[in-house]
Parts: sequence; C-alpha cells; structure tokens
Amino acid sequence: MDQSRHKLFDSVLGGLLLIGMVVALYMAFLGAPREQTMGDLQRIFYFHVPSGMMGLAAFIVNCYASLMYLIKKDRKWDSLALSAAEVGVVFFTIVLVTGPIWAKPVWFVWWTWSPRLTSSLVLWMLYLAYMLVRNYVPDPERRAMMSAVFAIVAIVDAPIVFFSIRWWRDMHPSAMLETGGLSPAMWPAFLTCIAAFLILLIYLIRRRYFLESARLEAERLARLADLAR
Amino acid sequence: MGTENTMHYLFAAYTAIWVILAVYLFSIQTREKKLHEELQNLRQLLERQSAKR
Amino acid sequence: MLGKIWAVFQKDLLIELRTKDSLNAMLFFGIVVLVVFNFALESTRDTIRQAVPGVLWVAFVFSGTLGLNRMFASEKENSCLQGLLMVPMDRGIIYLGKTLAAAVFMLIAEGVIFVFSLVFFNLTVWAEIPYLILVFFIGTLGFTAVGTLLSAIAVNTRMREVLLPLILFPVVLPILVNAVEATGIILNTADYRALKLPLTIMTTFTIVFATLAYLLFDFVLED
Repeated sequence: MDQSRHKLFDSVLGGLLLIGMVVALYMAFLGAPREQTMGDLQRIFYFHVPSGMMGLAAFIVNCYASLMYLIKKDRKWDSLALSAAEVGVVFFTIVLVTGPIWAKPVWFVWWTWSPRLTSSLVLWMLYLAYMLVRNYVPDPERRAMMSAVFAIVAIVDAPIVFFSIRWWRDMHPSAMLETGGLSPAMWPAFLTCIAAFLILLIYLIRRRYFLESARLEAERLARLADLAR
Repeated sequence: MGTENTMHYLFAAYTAIWVILAVYLFSIQTREKKLHEELQNLRQLLERQSAKR
Repeated sequence: MLGKIWAVFQKDLLIELRTKDSLNAMLFFGIVVLVVFNFALESTRDTIRQAVPGVLWVAFVFSGTLGLNRMFASEKENSCLQGLLMVPMDRGIIYLGKTLAAAVFMLIAEGVIFVFSLVFFNLTVWAEIPYLILVFFIGTLGFTAVGTLLSAIAVNTRMREVLLPLILFPVVLPILVNAVEATGIILNTADYRALKLPLTIMTTFTIVFATLAYLLFDFVLED
C-alpha cells in the first residue's frame, strides 16, 4: 500500500474509531436500559465483554500469523503475530481490571474463580509468557521461531484450560453466577460496543504492526550503514 | 449496595479502561517518534556514505 | 522408528543414572516442598488430608520442572545437540526419546516423594495404589510432553532456568487441575467412577500435546 492510500486509510479508521467510541459510550449509558438487580453497575458489561471478545480475536490472529510464519518464514507474519499478541494483552488487561471492579460491589469479593475470568487470567499469563520468550531470545530469526511455536502451544492449550476450569468449577461451585442473561433491549448497545471495539482492535494492531515494520527497516538500514563503513 | 457506591465503581471501571488504552497508545506514539528520528538519521547517514564514494 | 526412540531414551537415561545429579536434586526439592507445606498448613491439622492432593502435585510439578531445566542445559553446554542432530533421523524422535526419559525420572521422584508424604501426613493407602499410579502416570506424561518442548524453547533464551517455570505453568494448568482433582477423588472419596472425566481430559491433553510437540520440535531445534 503506497503512502497516500495508507495515510487515507489510517485517517478514515481513526475517524471511525472516534465516532464508534462515542456512539458506544452513548449506547452503554443512555441507549441501554437499567438492569434490575445490579443497577447501573451492570453497564461495565458493555465494555468488559467486548474487550474479552476482541482479546480472544487478537490471540486468534496471533495464532494464524504464527502458523504462517512457520510455513512461509516471512518476517512480516512475525511482526503481525507480535502486534496481535501485544494488543491482546492490552485487551485482556482491561478484562482483568474491570472484572474485579464489577465483582466487588455485586458479590462482595474481588475475585471469582469463574471459568471465564479464570480462563482470561490464564490466557493473559500465556501471552505474557509469549512476550517474555520474545524478550529473551537475542537472535531475530530464532525469536520469531520460538515465539511462533509457543503461540501455537498456547492457543491449543486455551480451550483445554477453559474446559478444565469449567469442570473444576462444577465440582466446587460457589454462590456466584456469571451473568449471561441479556434482555432483548440490551442487544443494540451490546452490538454497538462490539463493533466499536472491533474497530479499536484493527486500529491498534495496524498501528503496532507499522511500528514494528519501521523498527525492522531501521535495523536493516543500520546494518547497511555498518557495512558501508 | 447504594446507588452512590455503584456509581463510584462504574466510574472506576471506565476510567481504568481509558487509562489502559491511553497508556498503550502513548507508548506506541513515543516509540513511533523515536523510530522516525532514527530512520531520518540513518537515511542521512547512508546518503552521506554513498556521496563519499 | 521405535528403535531410534529407544536409543535416545536410553542415552538420556544412562547419562543421568551415571551421575544422578538431577535425580537427587529433584528428590530433595520435592521433599523440601512437602516439609514447607507441612509447616504452612500447621493450623489446618484436621483437614490436612484434603490438602494432600494439592501439596503432592505442587511438589511433583516443582520437582519435575527442576528435572526439565537440566535436560537441555548439559546438551547445550557440551554442544552435544549438534552431534545428535547430525544423526539422520526425524527430529520428533529426539523429542519422544527425551520426553520418555524425563517422564521416567519424574515418576521415580514422584514415587519417593509420595512415600515421604505418606509418612509426613500419616496416610494409609493400600487399595488406592493402582488408581494413584494411573493418575500419576498420565499426569506426568502430560507434564513432560509439554515440558520437553518448552524446555527446548527456554534453553535458547538468556534466562533459561527462570523462564521455563514462567512459560510452563500456565500451559500445564489443565493437567494440574485435573490431576489434583483425580488424586483427591481417590484419596478422599472412593467414587472411582468420577475419575473418568479428569482422566479423559488428562489423556486428551497428553495425546494432543505430544503430537503437537512432535510436529513442532523441528522448528525449535534448528541450529
């Protein structure tokens, strides 16, 4: 994509993002009805859950990019994998921070070992581990290789983790339930927020990807400069 | 669980979201600026090197 | 192909059996963990039997991680890996041989640690032993299946020993959760039918990750 079209796409995306976020906020606070049992606190849901969904989407992108790197060995896929992983960690951080803030007033505990929240924690840890692996492998090609392998291990692990925790939870039930129930009036707000977060996801991954490409370019030029000396 | 209390938590949650996103975007922006500078310097350096030859 | 796996397995086994460095460390560490937990749980004397499955598997996992850490470290230091790679065989075979060796060592350590736990926690188990062996066996196999692959990854980094637990523990959680549950079921309730689910999950985990690791090992060893 040449420079001018690139810049145009970026601006359009940025504009959409801004509009999307404002609309999402409106819908979450004013467009959605007040929930019966939890009151206005439930509105956290509209940003908490889409964050989780987009985090998951980011990790799937990371898995795909990692696989592509292993097959094609093109560094571009590695850059995409890194970008997706980082953005995924950001989204899951949001989930893990808003989760307890929601849980405290409702269930009077900061943490519930519910399957979704616990799996989010494990997934978050897995991708932090991914970033650690990247951090500590000095050679760029090996780094891409090692992290790609780990990413695939992580994504295969994720569903097994979820089912294990869900089963464990069934064995040791607690009084709190994960609210899944959405009344029909809540769906427009929910869908709007999902759309807004999707735009956010694409925007962040794109931006991080171009940053990484620029970094690779700088590396390349630095090597050329060294050679020419 | 009074309404006032609930609002505090709601505010905290949304603030947290904005802070997290803002910090991340800011970090990207800082890195972008640094890289931009570095790329400029490297390109100038390479031009000077090829001009010498 | 089985012959090659056996050869790699034997090599690792013999090297370790000669010095017993790793094994000793694993045993000692596992028993230390038991003792520490005994003091940590002093206040729950009556309900300690409930805690035993968790304590046991923590000891197993820490001990096993120690063993995994050492698995590739010596190879890297002595450049044995290059020699091994020159043999014309599927890289996955190296993985299988090493996994089996790691599993055997971990099982030996587990056996000893378990006997110590019987003494420390005043347990009597006779009828439960075959079931326990089954759970220990599958759990250990699952653990080493992932552990061997991740150990090979970690050995490439600057932080080897520190990195392995960090990347291994989150991945191995399903095994841990199910193994602790299964052990608990065996020790505290006699409801052996309830074992079906955790054992199925653990077996699935082991098969899935052994296959995955076998396929991916090539990428990790490129030297």
